[in-house]
Amino acid sequence: MGVAALTSDPRFRAPLVVLTALILHLAVLSRVRVAGVMPDIMLLLGIAAGLTGGPSRGAAVGFVAGMALDLFLQTPLGLSALVFTLVGFAVGTLETGILRASWWIPVVTALVASAAGEFLFALIGTMVGETAMISPRLGVIAAIVGVGNAILAPIVVRVVGWSVARAPSKGLFVV
Amino acid sequence: MAVYRRSRRHRFVLLLLVLTSVTAITLDFRGEGDGLLDSVRGGARDAFAPVQSAADRVFAPVGDFFGGATRYGDVKAENDRLRRQLEEARGETLRQAGADRERQSLLELQDLTFAADIPAVAARVVSTAPSNFQLTVTIDHGAEAGVAKGMPVVTGAGLVGRVADVSAKRATVLLITDRASNVGVRLQSSGDVGVARGAGPGTPIPVDLVNIDVKVVEGEPVVTSGLEQSVFPPQVPVGKVRTAKVAPGALKQDVTIDPVVDLQRLEFVKVLQWGSQP
Repeated sequence: MGVAALTSDPRFRAPLVVLTALILHLAVLSRVRVAGVMPDIMLLLGIAAGLTGGPSRGAAVGFVAGMALDLFLQTPLGLSALVFTLVGFAVGTLETGILRASWWIPVVTALVASAAGEFLFALIGTMVGETAMISPRLGVIAAIVGVGNAILAPIVVRVVGWSVARAPSKGLFVV
Repeated sequence: MAVYRRSRRHRFVLLLLVLTSVTAITLDFRGEGDGLLDSVRGGARDAFAPVQSAADRVFAPVGDFFGGATRYGDVKAENDRLRRQLEEARGETLRQAGADRERQSLLELQDLTFAADIPAVAARVVSTAPSNFQLTVTIDHGAEAGVAKGMPVVTGAGLVGRVADVSAKRATVLLITDRASNVGVRLQSSGDVGVARGAGPGTPIPVDLVNIDVKVVEGEPVVTSGLEQSVFPPQVPVGKVRTAKVAPGALKQDVTIDPVVDLQRLEFVKVLQWGSQP
């Protein structure tokens, strides 16, 4: 039972991807800041799952990714989970039935959905009593997260697509 | 019909997950510190600590690269040493600036020096917040080393923030520039008190409630007030006055300060084992 056996079973793939993304988010991406803002790969997981697997998977992956991230934040536990669930579901709903022939569709979706996700996070955060999340800086945060996630989107969408696929594995890079 | 059923299933999944999130948020608010959710959170942070330390070692050069700095080896070590010396010197200057007024206060109260008699835990900053909405750092000591929620955190130069959350091996420090941070401060020369509320990263900290007829000088040192019930001990350097002006018709002054500690480059800190209600 090695890594190969683990990755060939679809049930293990999604948790594996979420865990890997969490480590990247906490240890690497939190250092890669532009104007003090880091990309949000955990939000991107939900978006990518919505794009590749539809609304339910988008919501489910967004929920798990958000909950995992919430364990390491000071904001109320469940806030990221709620926001990422809604964003993953929305992306899944909007993208269902659209032919994803072009490479730029995931990129643009990641850009718009990530920026919207940051606004939603601040909005719901304020509603549950977090102080001063809505400020002029929010626009800067949303813009930089949007661009950062758009850059990460092609690879993340591919990996998440592989992890949520119901069909037997075709290998990671043979899509 | 099939489409209808499928979209109903999607909506059911969404509803379930949203309700679970909202329940978690509610429980987190009601838990007030010792709930099940807190222990889950603490467990996750402790479990992740070794992974994070390893990843930090591996990826530290990445961070340096993206930070726009290319300091390696000896240069980095020397730079860090010099920076620490400079910070300490800066703090020293600040402390002496208010010496006259302080001596007077000392005569009355006798026990006022910057944290000298408070037991402290030295700690290393291991990571910054994995978030764009909070200004915190994680340090490598937690409850096992005697760190507790609410304790003030300082460097040789002055105030860094306070412990916002603690697990067995790690603690999260809320920086004084975070928007959720409030610090009771005293203007060192005039002696007037106010509240320094964080305004975000790299932004000068506004000080509220400064009396309109107090003369505030630019560059004037600002220290913690340490009034009764304060979470910070008195006379810890916080910053220097950057701007001070009175808007026409205003009832208070607009004062901003620059933190005396370089909060972007924290490396070693001390957690003061100090509580307002011992």
